[in-house]
Amino acid sequence: MRAAPVTRRPLGRSALIAAGLVSALALAGCQADEPQASDEPVEGGTLVYASGDAEPTCLDPHVGGNYPQALIAGQFLESLVSRDGSGEIVPWLAESWEASDDGLAWEFTLREGVTFTDGTPLDAEAVKVNVEHLQDPATQSSTGYLAMGKVERVEVVDDLTARFVLTTPDSALLESLSQPWTAIQSPAGIARGMEENCEAPIGTGPFVVDEWVKQDRVTLVRNDDYSSPPADAEHDGPAYLEAIEWRFVPDAASRYAALQGGQVDVIDNPQPDTVAAAEESGAFTWLDAPRPGASNRIELNSGQAPFDDERVREAFIRAVQVDEGIDALFFGTAERSYSALSSVEALAYSEPSLFEPDLDRANRLLDEAGWTGRDADGTRLKDGQRLTLRFPVSTNQSIPAEQSLFEQVQATAKEAGFDVVIDLLDLSSWYGRLFVNEYEIVSAPYTKVGPDVLRILYHSDSITPAPSGYFANLAQLSDPEVDALLTEAAAEGDADARAGVYEQAQQRILGGYYLLPLYDQQNGFLLDPSVRGARAMPTVSTPSFHDAWLAD
Amino acid sequence: MTPGSPTESGRRRRSTARHAAVLLGGAVFVMWAVATLTFFAIRLIPGDPAQAILGGPGSQASQEALDLVREEYGLDQPLVVQYLAMLGRLLTGDLGSSYALRMPVAELLADQVGGTLLLAALSLALAWVLALGLSLWSTGRGRIAAAVGEGIELTAAALPHFWLAAVLIAVFATGLGWFPPVATGTPSGLVLPVVTLAVPLAGFLAQVMRESLLDALQQPFVVSAQARGESTAGIRLRHTIRHAALPGISLSGWALGWLLSGAVVVETIFAMPGLGRTLLQAVTLRDIPVVIGVVLFVALVYVVMTVITDLVARIADPRLRQEAAR
Repeated sequence: MRAAPVTRRPLGRSALIAAGLVSALALAGCQADEPQASDEPVEGGTLVYASGDAEPTCLDPHVGGNYPQALIAGQFLESLVSRDGSGEIVPWLAESWEASDDGLAWEFTLREGVTFTDGTPLDAEAVKVNVEHLQDPATQSSTGYLAMGKVERVEVVDDLTARFVLTTPDSALLESLSQPWTAIQSPAGIARGMEENCEAPIGTGPFVVDEWVKQDRVTLVRNDDYSSPPADAEHDGPAYLEAIEWRFVPDAASRYAALQGGQVDVIDNPQPDTVAAAEESGAFTWLDAPRPGASNRIELNSGQAPFDDERVREAFIRAVQVDEGIDALFFGTAERSYSALSSVEALAYSEPSLFEPDLDRANRLLDEAGWTGRDADGTRLKDGQRLTLRFPVSTNQSIPAEQSLFEQVQATAKEAGFDVVIDLLDLSSWYGRLFVNEYEIVSAPYTKVGPDVLRILYHSDSITPAPSGYFANLAQLSDPEVDALLTEAAAEGDADARAGVYEQAQQRILGGYYLLPLYDQQNGFLLDPSVRGARAMPTVSTPSFHDAWLAD
Repeated sequence: MTPGSPTESGRRRRSTARHAAVLLGGAVFVMWAVATLTFFAIRLIPGDPAQAILGGPGSQASQEALDLVREEYGLDQPLVVQYLAMLGRLLTGDLGSSYALRMPVAELLADQVGGTLLLAALSLALAWVLALGLSLWSTGRGRIAAAVGEGIELTAAALPHFWLAAVLIAVFATGLGWFPPVATGTPSGLVLPVVTLAVPLAGFLAQVMRESLLDALQQPFVVSAQARGESTAGIRLRHTIRHAALPGISLSGWALGWLLSGAVVVETIFAMPGLGRTLLQAVTLRDIPVVIGVVLFVALVYVVMTVITDLVARIADPRLRQEAAR
């Protein structure tokens, strides 16, 4: 180990040589590989998918409920409704639905003739069992449990009609039901108990879980009796692919190498430089699929000093510069956002002028707010207090490019006299830091279908921690007017009126300088050119392979 | 002292028995200390095990769900009670159940241990071959060979696994296409992971082997063998190789443990199932029973390897056998 400094230089050079060799070979490879144009889907074949997300600990997305579960569950489970590319809710397992005038009862008419892959028919009783499963504490559900928060019970009206009875009107009910975390499973499958159901949940989807070899792969085979694609699918009937081999490959470089070597057909979570290189070479298809819900943003903790003062919040937002960093570090793959919501949300409201950098204004605001002193480092002082901003960063959630961007935030904020202290932490430690309120700025993703995510993130109710210590309102935004608008929007049954209220709420939230939007939650897939017809679901951007086929 | 005389063999048996008792006592102590340290250390880092059970960090589980889980797993008990309960379970050979995967830890380890041990054993074997070859070649051959040998050893020993793996993938998987970048369970998929682990280890082993080879080459028996007209190769293979091997053998116990920790990186990069990845996931999720299970297993491997290397060293070096009898 002691020889490391001596050996570093020659090693660096050989790495460059290796990298040069690799790119030369990659270029040579892609020219030879020009795909043949043919648009007739081909039956059969096994698609190999390499996932960089954590391996789920349970394949049933009712249990817990995180994104890795959603990714794979979408292959074998289906929801009552889906969302199309324009943001419209479309039929899936439910053919139609109707809300009562008071918004407290929703009747869903199920598609006829659908059976789970264990032969159990899909009926209203199955829907009831699923909602009860989500609400049962023993299921240990988190995401789906929250999504069903306003559902009091489900009544079986007849075989194919299920009535959701709500405690209060919920304009987000359809969006909640479109998510994989509330997907409908076979009641017989659920009855097997958690241990067995986690290994291989039973759904109505185009594929069936065949085998799960822990830390290696899940083998999914085609459901030959499949008959229930969502309304916006390309074709009816079973999938073209015979099977999917779903592999867990945590290292981003290995995933891309495996794609380049033809060992796998699809990878997720490619790093920005990889996406840029792959797009430039033209060797792979890039399926860009930003996640719905919130944008990626830096939240300013307004619950305590110094950000309890709006002038200091605005000063921070005017001082930092992120545009160049986003361009350089994300290689043009990420577009700057000026909204609290993801660009896939139709109701996202943007206000670029609020986020224009202006160092003079930042300095002026800080002077006004009383941060007039300076210490030897140039950090501003007020009553002997330094203008220190603690910034815990989760290495599980922020990719290296984002971590570098945060360093640029740190550097530009310093010019106005902020001392940003970045702390790189693993996920559990990072949450631990938030739970004890030891942060001034933080960036946390939140994926959910629809603008109701605003209520979760910015309603003052979300400052009160859940029993686990979790709270979603990390900006600790507590504004009765925002609360009123978000509550009103959540209950508003009329689409136009709802959109108007959400716009007002977003104006108010952005105008208070509680957050600095960066870009959409980056998500996407690199596909070998032989993979055709794959798409990302417009719900939570998970891949769908029902329409996919492998060209020769 | 005539071997086989009654007093002599009695003394030797007593000494061997004492030696075994010391080893066994030490082993039990080490296992207890490891279990205790791990149990308390993992609780010093922030993170709630109940959340590991309820879908990982950041879970928004209800109070009812949390209560249910805390009761089911005894997490509502005082820490000391939990600790004693764990010791009690360990004494009966029960490693408990994984919080996150909801299966017995023993079963989980049994599924994963084969791959990691195969990886470690192959890497150790390859490291041995590389180290012996390099040290035999580079000693007694003049200053240039010695300098080259030393340079290779130092460089190899300083290579970080993650870097070496990335370069090997770039050259032999992406570049030349000889081996898959992601392990597939086939022999060719094992090549790059094994080389990644073996090369730095070979650097370490070769360093110590060369030292003792150089020592041995200056011993009188080498001169007398040369005087008898023995060839250089003959001297190396018949006489000095044992001297070179000795420190290598005693280092192998340490090396296997080191390889198991290297497996965390290598299994992640090459996407191989195994104990390393199991441990990484378990620490991330605060899955305490699994962390303790893996750590205990690695400690056991250390202990067993120490005993084995101790015995093998006695076989390779007659002096150690006599010492024990003295």
